Amino acid sequence: MRKFLAVVKHEYRKVVLRWSFLIGTLLFPLLGLGFAVVPALIFSIKGEPTRIVIVDREGKLGPRIRSNLSPEKIAQKQAEALKNTSLEPTVGPKQSTDSLKNLTEGFVFVPFDVNGRTDEQVRYELNSMAAEKKIDAYLIVPKDLSGKFEFLSRKAGDFVASGMLEDAVNDAVRSERLTQANISESTLKQINQKVEIETKAIDEHGREKNSDALLAASFVIGLMIYISLTIYGQVILGAVVEEKETRIAEILFSSARPFELMLGKLVGVGLAGLTQLGIWVTSLALLVGFLMLQTDIAPLLAGAPHITPLMVGYFLLFFLLGYFLFASIFALIGSMVTTVQEGSQFAFPPIMLMLVGFYFSFAVIRDPSSPLSFWVSIAPFWAPITMPVRILAETPPFWQIALSISINAIAICGMVWLCARVYRVGMLMYGKRATLPEVWKWIRER
Amino acid sequence: MGEDDVTLRVDSISKSFDDFAAVDDLSFNVRAGRIFGFLGPNGAGKTTTIRMIVGITIPDSGEIELFGKRINGTDQDHIGYLPEERGLYKKTKVIDQLRYFAALKNIPQSEADRRIDRWLGRMELSEWKNKKTTDLSKGMQQKIQFIATVLHDPDLLILDEPFSGLDPVNVEFMIDVLSEFRQTNKTVIFSTHLMETAERLCHDILLINKGKKVISGSLRKVKESYGRNRVAVRVDGANDLLNNVSGVESIAEKADEKILSMRPDADPQELLRSLVSSGAKVTKFEYVEPTLNDIFIEQIGGAK
Repeated sequence: MRKFLAVVKHEYRKVVLRWSFLIGTLLFPLLGLGFAVVPALIFSIKGEPTRIVIVDREGKLGPRIRSNLSPEKIAQKQAEALKNTSLEPTVGPKQSTDSLKNLTEGFVFVPFDVNGRTDEQVRYELNSMAAEKKIDAYLIVPKDLSGKFEFLSRKAGDFVASGMLEDAVNDAVRSERLTQANISESTLKQINQKVEIETKAIDEHGREKNSDALLAASFVIGLMIYISLTIYGQVILGAVVEEKETRIAEILFSSARPFELMLGKLVGVGLAGLTQLGIWVTSLALLVGFLMLQTDIAPLLAGAPHITPLMVGYFLLFFLLGYFLFASIFALIGSMVTTVQEGSQFAFPPIMLMLVGFYFSFAVIRDPSSPLSFWVSIAPFWAPITMPVRILAETPPFWQIALSISINAIAICGMVWLCARVYRVGMLMYGKRATLPEVWKWIRER
Repeated sequence: MGEDDVTLRVDSISKSFDDFAAVDDLSFNVRAGRIFGFLGPNGAGKTTTIRMIVGITIPDSGEIELFGKRINGTDQDHIGYLPEERGLYKKTKVIDQLRYFAALKNIPQSEADRRIDRWLGRMELSEWKNKKTTDLSKGMQQKIQFIATVLHDPDLLILDEPFSGLDPVNVEFMIDVLSEFRQTNKTVIFSTHLMETAERLCHDILLINKGKKVISGSLRKVKESYGRNRVAVRVDGANDLLNNVSGVESIAEKADEKILSMRPDADPQELLRSLVSSGAKVTKFEYVEPTLNDIFIEQIGGAK
């Protein structure tokens, strides 16, 4: 037992104390953090208010535009925009510009007297004021509504300000036209009311869940397990081949039983994988917590799926099941081959097996309670990827989860036994790659 | 030599791979406080035998007793094994590798650290403690591997070609270490194809070929049993006589002398008499022991 623990410790340290582990572990949360937080931080740096002159000889549209650009009006518009988009799981460009609007300082109206001046004079004077940086922009309202508005700005690149201005002008013109047609604003609103359809799933307790967000989260979980299994399978393969290639196996086998050595290796590397997943899950939880505190973004997360600690527990458990299943295959391959390159060629079948499981998880997301979903979520090799997806999408009855765990645990015992048989002989066979009949002989050997 | 002195008793062990008998009914004893030379050509079954002794594989039949008891798993902690094909973890620090190998022999880490420091100091490798294997020269790696073999202070040390890759200075150094080992009444099994080294170091030898014992016993006895009829002669003239004298089986030419192998029934004294009476000038006439190399070639070459 002491030797087994020594192997576990050695293998764990060997993985965790590498730069690649540190980089891999940090990179993932940092990328997530980057995607989620950095844009918000950048756009929260508020711009200077736009000093604007509105040239309106008729005096009809000017006041409307001004009131549309008042801070209250802008805030009101934003709330509406957010309400319409908060149910979308993905952050589209429309939504991001909408949510960004309240992050700007708005407008300051600079008075300017146009009486007694020609259009050319007005233009010339405003241009020179802009050049002297006394104003940032000016808007020339045409004499009648069918005419062209002219907006000139020193900061033409400020799409937030120009977008807001355009909205304000449009609203103002529309209101003016409605007034001319004798239709009140509120009547129009009623006519234009959009029909809303919200897609929601109902969980087993009869609570409503948002299905779009679930879809995304299920996909992320499936992907995370698939990627982790691939990475740690390769780690095992590399570690086994190294001991064979450098002939360390001979020294190890003269110190401890091959079974202890192999199982210690699987457990040690598995704990390293669990450490990495643990760091990721924790940082994900912290990230969500951080975003919740950001009042600007919190409404966007209102539709996020409710993930319970039990689900996280299942998630880690199924990762471990999948890890031991595939790691024992990779260890078996490692003890068959002679070099890492040869090993990578033979790693193809198990990786394909994983990939099929990953693809099945799409079927599970679409219909978590279908017979197909049931079978792939209890099948050995696929369950570790598909079952967590299914649990998140629509938690199946407990007996199905228990059945899936049992079937996969039995499969692990079989695979570890098979692997140990091949490992104890294969690790001492130098020179050439073993053929399948040879491997079959090793398995049956005393 | 009493029974108590026997560290390792190998009793008619056999091991086959498919139809190939790698080791065939092999028996021998290894005595405490002695260096045991385990010799044989490539493919003779040395490594297979050693693997059975250190518990890597199990014999198909026969028994192995260590310290008077049938070998079991715990014996591995008392054996130090340096395989012929050996290596280290490429990207692991020297200290971490040695700690790991010590832990696998049930040595607590604090004790292991003390021993590692002592051995690295002796091998003049202290400053390489925190370096990775890839930074070490081949010779340094050999020394680290040797330290890994002896860290747990084994009672039985099995070294398979321990000097390969070492420069002469380090070979001498290792030989010193081995002698110390022997003096503490520990046992060393030493496998090599370098007969000169074996001749210098070993007290007992076992020569095997094709999985079977060829010769065994103390080096002196083995040599004596082969050395009765070999004579080194330095003589001027009388070349024809040497070629025609009865009883001479073969003549090996050396730089300034000839080694005559005579038939077991021939009498070298008679040869000397006839040389002297022929008028030739005899400056050297000496009984010689065969070298281990001679015995090896005679035995293995003849068997082929």
